[in-house]
Parts: sequence; structure tokens; C-alpha cells
Amino acid sequence: MGSIVEPWVTAENGNATAKGSNRELRHGRTAHNMSSSSLRKKSDLRLIQKVPCKTLKNILSNFQEVILGTKLTLLFLAIPLAILANSYHYGRPLIFGLSLIGLTPLAERVSFLTEQLAFYTGPTVGGLLNATCGNATELIIAILALANNKVAVVKYSLLGSILSNLLLVLGTSLFCGGIANIRREQRFDRKQADVNFFLLLMGLLCHLLPLLLKYAATGEVSTSLINNMSLNLSRTSSIVMLIAYIAYLIFQLWTHRQLFEAQEDDDDDAYDDEVTVEETPVIGFWSGFAWLVGMTLVIALLSEYVVATIEEASDSWGLSVGFISIILLPIVGNAAEHAGAIIFAFKNKLDISLGVALGSATQISLFVVPLSVIVAWIMGIKMDLNFNILETSSLALAIIITAFTLQDGTSHYMKGLVLLLCYVIIAACFFVDQIPQKQPNGTIVGIQPKNNPGSGFFSA
Amino acid sequence: MAGIVTEPWSSAENGNASMTPKGSSRELRHGRTAHNMSSSSLRKKSDLRVIQKVPYKGLKDFLTNLQEVILGTKLAILFPAIPAAIICTYCGVSQPWIFGLSMLGLTPLAERVSFLTEQLAFYTGPTLGGLLNATCGNATELIIAILALTNNKVAVVKYSLLGSILSNLLLVLGTSLFCGGIANLRREQRFDRKQADVNFFLLLLGLLCHLLPLLYTYVATEDTPAAVISDMSLVLSRSSSIIMLISYIAYLVFQLWTHRQLFDAQDQEDEYDDDVEEETAVISFWSGFVWLVGMTLVIALLSEYVVATIETASESWNLSVSFISIILLPIVGNAAEHAGAIIFAFKNKLDISLGVALGSATQIGLFVVPLTIIVSWIIGINMDLNFNLLETGSLALSIIITAFTLQDGTSHYMKGLVLLMCYFIIAICFFVDKLPQKQPNGFHMGLQQMNNVVTATGGGVFSS
Repeated sequence: MGSIVEPWVTAENGNATAKGSNRELRHGRTAHNMSSSSLRKKSDLRLIQKVPCKTLKNILSNFQEVILGTKLTLLFLAIPLAILANSYHYGRPLIFGLSLIGLTPLAERVSFLTEQLAFYTGPTVGGLLNATCGNATELIIAILALANNKVAVVKYSLLGSILSNLLLVLGTSLFCGGIANIRREQRFDRKQADVNFFLLLMGLLCHLLPLLLKYAATGEVSTSLINNMSLNLSRTSSIVMLIAYIAYLIFQLWTHRQLFEAQEDDDDDAYDDEVTVEETPVIGFWSGFAWLVGMTLVIALLSEYVVATIEEASDSWGLSVGFISIILLPIVGNAAEHAGAIIFAFKNKLDISLGVALGSATQISLFVVPLSVIVAWIMGIKMDLNFNILETSSLALAIIITAFTLQDGTSHYMKGLVLLLCYVIIAACFFVDQIPQKQPNGTIVGIQPKNNPGSGFFSA
Repeated sequence: MAGIVTEPWSSAENGNASMTPKGSSRELRHGRTAHNMSSSSLRKKSDLRVIQKVPYKGLKDFLTNLQEVILGTKLAILFPAIPAAIICTYCGVSQPWIFGLSMLGLTPLAERVSFLTEQLAFYTGPTLGGLLNATCGNATELIIAILALTNNKVAVVKYSLLGSILSNLLLVLGTSLFCGGIANLRREQRFDRKQADVNFFLLLLGLLCHLLPLLYTYVATEDTPAAVISDMSLVLSRSSSIIMLISYIAYLVFQLWTHRQLFDAQDQEDEYDDDVEEETAVISFWSGFVWLVGMTLVIALLSEYVVATIETASESWNLSVSFISIILLPIVGNAAEHAGAIIFAFKNKLDISLGVALGSATQIGLFVVPLTIIVSWIIGINMDLNFNLLETGSLALSIIITAFTLQDGTSHYMKGLVLLMCYFIIAICFFVDKLPQKQPNGFHMGLQQMNNVVTATGGGVFSS
């Protein structure tokens, strides 16, 4: 309880910590953890020391670590407000907004707790835990939306997460990093980026084939047959994607771990302050576990509000459901990682920023998406991998642009700016997309010729 | 003649290969492309002791010849499938059996043709040998394609050629990289990406030639009759084929003459090296030539059975014709190269594995496909380069994924695994694809009929 841990400082410090176990523990923390930890505050325990009773002191310090240990603490107030608003039946858009705001610090705290638990479980399980829980918000929103049979919301929000990670987070990081280090050469190890890219391309293939299947069907084939084929293909592809994800975890955490470890530069870093401090967890294992469960439940609650009120919010704010799901939800869910990635880019630690952004995109594409399809299968809901032509093309081009941009292992602010502007363009596209809500089973038959005969591309 | 047993591939792997005294050996080795070397890994040393006991000289020669050719491969056990298939045809056994047996019989034949081509290359010199290999290396695919054309089964042609490209790019390459990565887990695996790059931009050229006729069918307005569109597509396809063949000839000039050094197998130190042996042919030129002609005829016969029985087999096995053509046929046709590529990947000789897989894909994409179009033009059949949306989409994404994966010149097992998974996904896609057989000319207007579908569901993107 006594030592104060600033996990990220150790990683930046050129002097590796002396204890071999510390090195192992640090290896257990992926880029994801390290970026979120940049939002942490040092816990000031002086006030609590004055409390006489020991258990009360423990509880209070625990509480302080967990609840107040982040710069996003102010947003915690939104949670009770959202619950109040729901109980007293205030306007639904208000509940939606408050829930969104409340989700932001929760996502960050879950990441913190996962990191704390990783101290106890060791690097491999810790990495696994982080890989799974790192996208807890997206996963919970997806499953709740499925339970409410809002398949379109699921697809949009997951797609939006991938786009946000690939273009927004990466773009702002590279841009800010480029501006801050305008006279320095910024390099990163492209092997890690490459692994993520070909996994993302494989995910793209899985989305593309059901889409093409629908377009390749000739007229005399019934819709139900097409949907059936698409569904079978999607479900089998999801199993294949999960196998690939497991292989990716083995690759990342076991056989080729050296590719993914944060590189230690011998840069003189002007931001290095404190001396290396020993890394120990600040909360006990069981309290961390209990907090994790508790926070996950609160996330589930707020996500329930979000999913339930999304249509009314969309009507009242004049934005399409597609726009809210693709743009707003992921920005909220990713806020913590986003801030962390930018901070690391400022410090010219591009490997970590890339690890966060690309790793998150890969996790969502290869883990959360197929898991949602499998969960939908179990629930009996027909969700397939056909994300419709506009969304799939945005995804395809986002992956290709990002892959090309990061191809040469260096970075400058132009790269970040281009990625950012691509995201703005896609956001504008979905903003002006006032197409009516898609069918509940999420199947949409994409390009439809206009109803008047004799116009449009494809009418007979 | 009978005394020297050659293991052609071992001299390539041996670091001391350059020290063979005869300059012609080095030339001969250069005449063997990666394709030859990988297939030769399936060869067995011929054990000539039994034959030595035969007193009569002419018979001895004949038996030696026979043994070299027929028994000189580990795939020899599949040879009985050939007479079995012929017998089945004459006895009127059910067609799916004939189909299965013919496919099994094609596997060792493809490998033997490659062996014979290599033997002939000893006599013809490296350049001609390389040319011969480039042409005959895909004899099976070429013969199946032409036979299917004569039976007017254009869809089968398109699917089988597409399936060959996909199988080479994803399956062969994926399994090689995966097995190589697992076997060499602690070693860094590098390869020369220049050779891979040449193949990729040729494949992208081929993709463009497939994409444009496909796009034609989608940009046509509704008052353009289908006949005009198919006519445009046909003319475009035929001219593109001529251009593709020109670029293929340029590729051969590049590979066998001006930039040969890019394609030579790198001599690396390897602990798998066996002894250096002098390379000579094991059969004479004319006997090799006769065997080659004979085997090609047998391949033609079995391919005839395959093409004739494919629909019945598809119904009886409950698989779509597209699945059989895209997935099963190429696996059979490529089995020998496949095994060879994996073996070389195990030995960390990625350049050879890549040369096999990518070279084969390029040959089919830029040689067999346009040649088939030209042949169909001569025969008078309307075959164009429009391979339909699903197939072209899979092809495009396969080329892009493989190009990205091989971009940095290194390899590990994840790369192989991802390519392999992509192949499975594409295979599953064609497996569940129970769409009715496409038109004989392989041409359909995909999106047009979506009209009916869309109005039925009553909703959609652009409904006003």
C-alpha cells in the first residue's frame, strides 16, 4: 500500500529495472495498458493517513485509488445522474447523453483494474486478460444490443470502433506526434504493424464475401436462400476468425513476444521525471477483482440505457442511428486509449501508440465481431457478417490507406493529418446519410435501383 | 547410364554446388526453375539392383527406363487409379467413381510430367528447358481447360483456373509459410522480395484484365441490350488476352535471360546438405520425349473423364460444381508442387517455396487464362474474362492480402496461418454457395435481378 506506482514511467526510463520479475511484469503489460495508465494520477494518501481506524483507512485508500485515481474522475458524476434520470423518466436523449459520458471513465478504470490484476496473474494471463477486457465496453454494448434485437446497432458500433481506432486514434496520435517532434525522425517497428494489418485484411475478407454473395445472386434465387447462405458463411467464418485470434494471442504473448515489446530508445527524454520506482500493485487482488466485477456491472447498466434510448436520441438530435453508432459511441468508448495514444506519440514512442490503435482494431475485428456473431447464433438471432456496402467499403479503404501509410516504418504529421481527414470524410458520409433505419434483422439489400423504371443502374 | 544416380535437388542446396567442375552443370542447374526443384523432392532414388540381374540388354534398358519413370516417385501408388478409371468407364460404373479415380490418377501424372520436363532440360539447355518447364508445368490445368471448352462448359474452365490461382496464392503459400514458420520458430526467415514483387505486379495486371469486363456489366444502362454488353466484354477480353500473353513472354525473357540472377535459388549454408553428385539425365532424350507425349495423352484422357462426369459427381456428392472446380480440382492438380513447397519451407529455403507458388500463380494468371480465351476464340466459343463478382472479389483480396503479407521480406508462422485461413474462408464461401449453375457463357447480370428481391423486402438503401 505504501509505494506509489507510476507504471508508465518505468517503461520510458532508459534504465531497465533491476529485478528480473519486474521486467516480466512489465512485459505483461501491453501497449494498451501503458497508454491508459498515462491518464492516472498519483494517489495522494496524506489525507487518508489521518483517519485513525485501520480498516476504514484501507477502504478509503482503496476507494481513492480506484475512483479518484484518474483525471477523468469528474465524469463519474454522470453515472448517478444517469440512473436518477432513468428512474425519474427524464427525457430519453438526456439519459443517452449522460450514459455516454459515464461510460468514458468506466472504460479507463476497467483497464486500470485489469493492469492491477495482471500483477498477480503473471504476464501471460495478464496479457490475455487485457486482450479480453480491453474492449469490454464494445463487447457489452454489442451483446446488449443483440439481446434487444438491434442488429444494425451492433454492426455499426463495432465497425465504428474499428474505424475510430484505425483512423481517428492513429491519425491524431501521428499528427500530434509529428507536430511535437517536427525536427526529429520518427521511426517505429513495422513488423508489429504488419501482423495487425494482415489480420485486419483477413477480417475484411470475411466481411466482403457475404456482401458479394448477396450481389452475385441472380434474380430467381429467393432472399431466404441468400440470407441462409450468408448466415452459414458468416458463422463459419466467425469460427475461423476466432481460431486466427487465438493464434494471434499465442503469437503475441508467447512465441514472438519480442516483436511486441515496447522498444527502449536511448533517447534523452525531456519528460522523464521520477526515478524508477518499484512496480507493485496498489490494490489487493480480491479488491481489484471485486471492483472489476462491480464496474463491469455498471458498464452493463449504462450500456443498457444507451441501447434502449438510442433511437429517441437520434430522433431528437436529428442524427441518424448509423451516425451515432459509428461515430459517437466509439469516440466515447475509446476516449481513454485515445488520450493515451496521443500522449505517447508526443513523447515519440510511436510503437506504443501503434500498438494501442492497431491492437484494438485487430481485437475488435477478430474477437468482438465473431464473438457477437456466435452469441447471436446461440441466442437465435440472425446476425451475419454483411455490413452493407457503404460500411464495408469505408472499412476496406481505411485498412488499405492505413496499411500503406505505415508501410515504411517512419511517420510525420502529414500521415496523421491524412488519416484524420479520412475519418472526418467518413464521418461526414454517415452524417448526411439520412437513409431510413434498416430492417431489424439487419439484412439490407444494398444498392437498389430507383423505383421508376428506366432510370438507375441496374433496373431491367 | 545405369550407374549414376542423381539427386538433382541436393546439389542446389549444397553450398559447394558452385564447385562442380563442369560449367555445363551450373548452366543445367540454372535451367531448373524452382518449380522443377520442388517437384523433384518427391522423387525416389531408383534402385537398379533388381534390374541388373536381367540378362538381356535391351530388356534391361527398357525396364530401367520404366522404373525411372513409373516408379521413381513416392506418388507411384496412385498410378493404379489410371487403369481403374479406364476400366470403370468401359464397364459403366457410376460416374462419381470415375470422377474420383480420374482425379487421383491425375496427381502422379502431373508430377511425372514435371520430372520428364526436367530430364529433357538436360538436353535442350537451360533457356529452352526453362521455357519447356514454364509451359508444361501447368499442363494439367491447360488440358482440363481446353477439354472443358470443347464441351462448352465455360463455367468449369473459369472456376478451375481461378481455383488454381487461389490455391497457389493462399493454400500452397500458406501451408509452406506456416510449416516453415513452425519448424524454424527461433530462426529469422528471410526471402528475396524482388522475385515476389515481379509476380505480384503481373498478377495485378491479370486482375485488372478480369476486373474491367466485370465492371462493364455493372455500368451498363438499362436500355443497352445484353448482347451488346457481352459483345463488348468479349472483344475487351480477347484483346486483353493478347496483351497478357505479350507480357507473359516479356516475363519469360526477364526470368530466363536478362534478370536470371533474381530467380536463381540462393545458395545457403544448410545442414541438410547431402553429397554432391554430378547431374546427368537418367533417361535419354527420345525416350523422355516419348514418355512426355504418352503421359500428356493419358492426362488428356483422364481430364476428359473429369470434365464429362463433373456434374454427376457434384450432384451425387452434394457439392456445387463451383466448389469442385475451384477447390477440389486445383488441390489435386497442385499436389506435387504443394508437397515440394512445404518441404523446402521446412528447410528454410523460402525463395524456392515462393518461386513455386507465385510462379505457378503467375503462369496460370498470365498464360493459361489468356491462352484459353484465344483457343475459345478459335473454336468459336464465347468465353470472356468476366469471372463474376464473387470469384473476382476473392481473387482481388487474395492478391492484396498475399502481397501485403510478403511485403517486408520476412516470414513467420502467423503469415502462413492467415493465408491458410483466408483460403478456408473462401472455400467455405463456395461450399455454401448453392446458387444455381451460371449460364453456359458464364455471364450473368448479377445486380439486375436484385430488383425483384428488393421490392419483395420493401426496404432498402435508396428507396425514395
